Amino acid sequence: MALPGLSLPGLGLQLNTPTPLLGGQPSSAPQAIRQEDVPPQAEWRFEAGFGKPFTVKLLGGHAEFFGVELAPNQTYDFSGRKGAIFSWQGCRLEVSGDAESEYVGRETEYAIEWLNVHGMLESARDDSREGPRVLVVGPDHVGKSSLVRSLAGWGVKVGRTPTVVNLDPKEGLLAPPSSLTATTVGSQLDVENGYGISGISGPTVTPVKTPLVYHFPHASPLDKSDVYKALVTRMALSVTNKLEEDAQAKQSGIIIDTSGSLNDPRSNYDIINHIISEFSITLVLCLGSERLYNDLNRRFTTSKVGDESIPVLRISKPGGAVERDASFMKQMTQQQIRQYFFGTSKEPLNPHSHSIPYTDLNVLRAKSAASEPGPENPYGGGLDDDDEDDIPYANKPVKITGILYEKSPPGATLTGSLMAVKYCPGSSNEETVRDSTVMGFVYVAEVDDTRKKIRFLAPHPQRWGDRALVWGPWPEAIADLVV
Amino acid sequence: MSARSPRGSFSGDQNLADDFEESLQDLTQNNRLEISNLTLIAKESTEFAQDISKVLEKHIKSTAPTRKLPALYVLDSIVKNVGTPYTVYLSRGLYSTFMEAYTQVDSNTRRSMEAMLKTWKEPVPGSIDPRPVFPPDIVQPIENALMKAKMVVLQNQRTVQPLYRNTPTPPQYGNQPVPNLEYAQNRHYPQFNAQQQMMQQQQHIPQYQAQPSGSVYRQSPAVQPGNDVESIKTETALLISRMQGQFAMNPQDQNLRTKLQALLQLQDVLKVQSLEPSELQQIKSQISLLSIAPIPTPTPPPAASTQYWQPPVPLPQSNPSTQSFMPYSTPQPVVPPPSILAPGTLESLQALLANGQKPSTPQLRNAAPALQNASHAQLNTVAATPVMNSNDLIAALTKNNLLANLPNSTPAPPASNPPAAPPSHQSTASLLESLKGFLPPLTPSNTPSQTMSGRQAKIPMTAASLKEFRPELVRSLYDGQPNQCSNCGRRFLASDEGRTKKGRHLDWHFRTNQRMADSSVSRGQHRNWFVEEMEWIRLAEFDPSTTTAEDAAANAAGNKPQKRTQDSFVRAPPGMTKNTCSICYEEMKSSYAEELEDWVFTNAVMYGNPPRIVHATCAEEIKKSTHQPGSVPGLGGSLATVLAAAGNNNGRRSRSATPDSTLGKRKAESILAGLSARLKTDQ
Ligand SMILES: [Zn+2]
Ligand SMILES: [Zn+2]
Repeated sequence: MALPGLSLPGLGLQLNTPTPLLGGQPSSAPQAIRQEDVPPQAEWRFEAGFGKPFTVKLLGGHAEFFGVELAPNQTYDFSGRKGAIFSWQGCRLEVSGDAESEYVGRETEYAIEWLNVHGMLESARDDSREGPRVLVVGPDHVGKSSLVRSLAGWGVKVGRTPTVVNLDPKEGLLAPPSSLTATTVGSQLDVENGYGISGISGPTVTPVKTPLVYHFPHASPLDKSDVYKALVTRMALSVTNKLEEDAQAKQSGIIIDTSGSLNDPRSNYDIINHIISEFSITLVLCLGSERLYNDLNRRFTTSKVGDESIPVLRISKPGGAVERDASFMKQMTQQQIRQYFFGTSKEPLNPHSHSIPYTDLNVLRAKSAASEPGPENPYGGGLDDDDEDDIPYANKPVKITGILYEKSPPGATLTGSLMAVKYCPGSSNEETVRDSTVMGFVYVAEVDDTRKKIRFLAPHPQRWGDRALVWGPWPEAIADLVV
Repeated sequence: MSARSPRGSFSGDQNLADDFEESLQDLTQNNRLEISNLTLIAKESTEFAQDISKVLEKHIKSTAPTRKLPALYVLDSIVKNVGTPYTVYLSRGLYSTFMEAYTQVDSNTRRSMEAMLKTWKEPVPGSIDPRPVFPPDIVQPIENALMKAKMVVLQNQRTVQPLYRNTPTPPQYGNQPVPNLEYAQNRHYPQFNAQQQMMQQQQHIPQYQAQPSGSVYRQSPAVQPGNDVESIKTETALLISRMQGQFAMNPQDQNLRTKLQALLQLQDVLKVQSLEPSELQQIKSQISLLSIAPIPTPTPPPAASTQYWQPPVPLPQSNPSTQSFMPYSTPQPVVPPPSILAPGTLESLQALLANGQKPSTPQLRNAAPALQNASHAQLNTVAATPVMNSNDLIAALTKNNLLANLPNSTPAPPASNPPAAPPSHQSTASLLESLKGFLPPLTPSNTPSQTMSGRQAKIPMTAASLKEFRPELVRSLYDGQPNQCSNCGRRFLASDEGRTKKGRHLDWHFRTNQRMADSSVSRGQHRNWFVEEMEWIRLAEFDPSTTTAEDAAANAAGNKPQKRTQDSFVRAPPGMTKNTCSICYEEMKSSYAEELEDWVFTNAVMYGNPPRIVHATCAEEIKKSTHQPGSVPGLGGSLATVLAAAGNNNGRRSRSATPDSTLGKRKAESILAGLSARLKTDQ
């Protein structure tokens, strides 16, 4: 059943315009509406806070926001965003609302580089039925995701269907944080809202995208690198298989976004190497770290170890400030989770409430590095002589050995957690739980310890049966998702 | 009974199947000639097709692992060169034939089998028939099983073994059938790695590719030499008149002058000499590359079938006994190719690597099947020489190399050899060489998907090409697509196609906005569950705002019309949950289609009189057979009846008994789910 009073935000807004103004409450302060002229190959940079309306309208010329073109005379809401609206030809914008900072930036050599990368990818696509497979690496906050989105957006614009893989658990792509996703992008992206929206039961402003979602409930891949690597392998397998099914997607190639923490010389870039080999990367783009570039370039270009070399290119980061502090990141995490359940002002969603007795629950907690087992048995005892067990999701005896996951007794400590519902029974072995994709996320809205029941917020009216519920250290519990 | 003298011995008597079996027993290696002879026997004995198919299946199952691949190549050659009715008989047991063999052979052979399987999804090379060798519902379950095996192996391997370790060679002999699950548990199975696998697969293709089976018996008009000569003459004439026009305007242009002279000489050669098919092929591809004017008779684009296949070339049948027996698997010492065309091929390849990027090894291998066997070092030599700008071109050149060797009936030598090949001095060859020097920078003429990026200069993946501003890239994103949607900013080409798409797109906005405005609709929206792995893999991505579901499916399937066949469904009559397909006798189960809010049979159509529910793919197969009366002498239209009544469907039944059947089912369901989603979106 639907939660009364939860069908916000934005539902009351007029829905017959394709791009209604903005969600949330209209600010009481009157906003100065101003016009800004942006010269060719320059950009309008802004840092807009959360919850404060900040809108932009294109009055003339052409403009794009990281690979996605703005339609003329439509109002776009960029509150809670830091970025730049770029114009190749020059444009006039109408800006309204308060930003922490806003100005025209003219140091836009980065944009030329990025566009040239797009040109390289197009050349590679024209040359082969097997498209380029691009890995984007670099520290946090250097514009990796913006680069990936630009490349995807431009690719889609010229008729490609690139597959975007997000390997950064901190920031979701079409899914909440703690997701690792793969999405073949076959239709236009959303100007304001990243890649748009995954499937919902009704109409959408932008054509829906279909992510394949894996679960890594840790903020950094290094927190559980063996699990992370196993998931990378699994994703590479799925993506490769998908591309074999779809000639156009195969030719369009793969673009992979990564977590900043992979920039880890101490491990000798172990995980980066792993991704490169599992996805058979053909081009590495390195942002924002000279050392990372030098190290990777030496390894993959200069000293080829009996294998073909992989070009490593150093790419400039965007000129505008992209540093996002901890409080900004926290708000972004919460916004992503909130949007998963409630949608956006344009596509409002009704989450559903399910009250489930403790006894019907299969809650598993992903263990963090602190509780890691010894090296002699890094993956637990799930592998045994269970020969006929080649159907991954078949029912099996309980095999939770406490190496990757531990049974999580229901209780008040779960309040506010985000849990993944996995496509496998809660009684599956640990590897199955680890590798199974996510059917959806649920939020622990309330734990009633006297009646021994948990009330969940779920995206879908249907319950999830005996499927495994998994949570971990990331994302942190949110107290006020349902207010 | 030797396979070398097939005619005469096989007069269609009772022992024909036995004799066929005996010949099979003699087949120990990938011997192209023996395979051709067995194919010929099968071709001439279609009335015994069922027996021959049985014998072949049995042989593949029972023979030693090392002999399985040659036998599978016989199967492959028969279905490609003869087709119906063998395709029908062999497809019934194909799953078990293939999978049982697959579990017993070593990993190299597995890769060859995977490569073969891949070609079964394609039309027969050189054939005008667009249908794949086997229908998708035959090949798909096998693919699913292989994929699942890889996943399981992968899981197991991850738990116990590091990546890229050396794998011990698995035992290759032993006639005991291994249980189906063996392969899944087999730790020797190579670590999955897409690129590596791709390369290795392709390394094995040329051996079989070189088999000139494609058009031995299928004389499709497109490959008849007479037509070729005429079309080449026409193209040459067109090209000449074009260039004469250009030359008149630029009389100082030496390049043009030389090119024109070469073409005029070529025209003379064409008038007076009768050329080998391979030479014709070569000239044809060169001309079509040179030709800027539209070509009256469309020539097959050079790379159209060269990625996995060489275009078929007639096998010289006149004097088989003089041909040497060359096992495909054994690299031969370098024999100077007898043809005039092979020498210089690599040079011209290098010349053509002129102004693009340095191709990677897989790209090179991908582009040039002749290079499959070349080592990294050799490929690097090739790639390090200037740069290629068109994989069509390389494919064309590669084809030349292979074609040049075919008349000798020897396997194509590894591509490492061409540089060592002695030059030759025939006029046609040198003419062609001089023409090649003038080839314009080309873009592939047949990229599988239409893009709007336009034809732009190649941008190599180097740091040097990052800094320069390229207005043409901006143009491709903006002015190149001037037709913009004012709702969302999306752009469309100024072509008819662009206008059609924009029309659909605006309709989509309209429908969407209407539905959103309908508060009863929007109030109840919820997010859907994310899709499952298998469903995601099978899901054909498409833009619902510009594409119809039909276009999308055709696109994703690489224009294989059969996916459409499988998409067919029939609403289940009330109370009917099960049905037996009257063609293959396999049980069909209804499933609930949420979006249709009804029970349906997937992959189903109504067929026959009175109409009954059968597999859509089975019905398609029957239609195929009846529409090709010429292919089965003496049976003609009654074949369908014969096949429908044919008893031997053990193979099919055992297929549904395998553990894989759940996967196949899931696939059908996901197709239906996708279809339903589209229906819903399009409402
Ligand atoms: Zn639009
Ligand atoms: Zn059937």
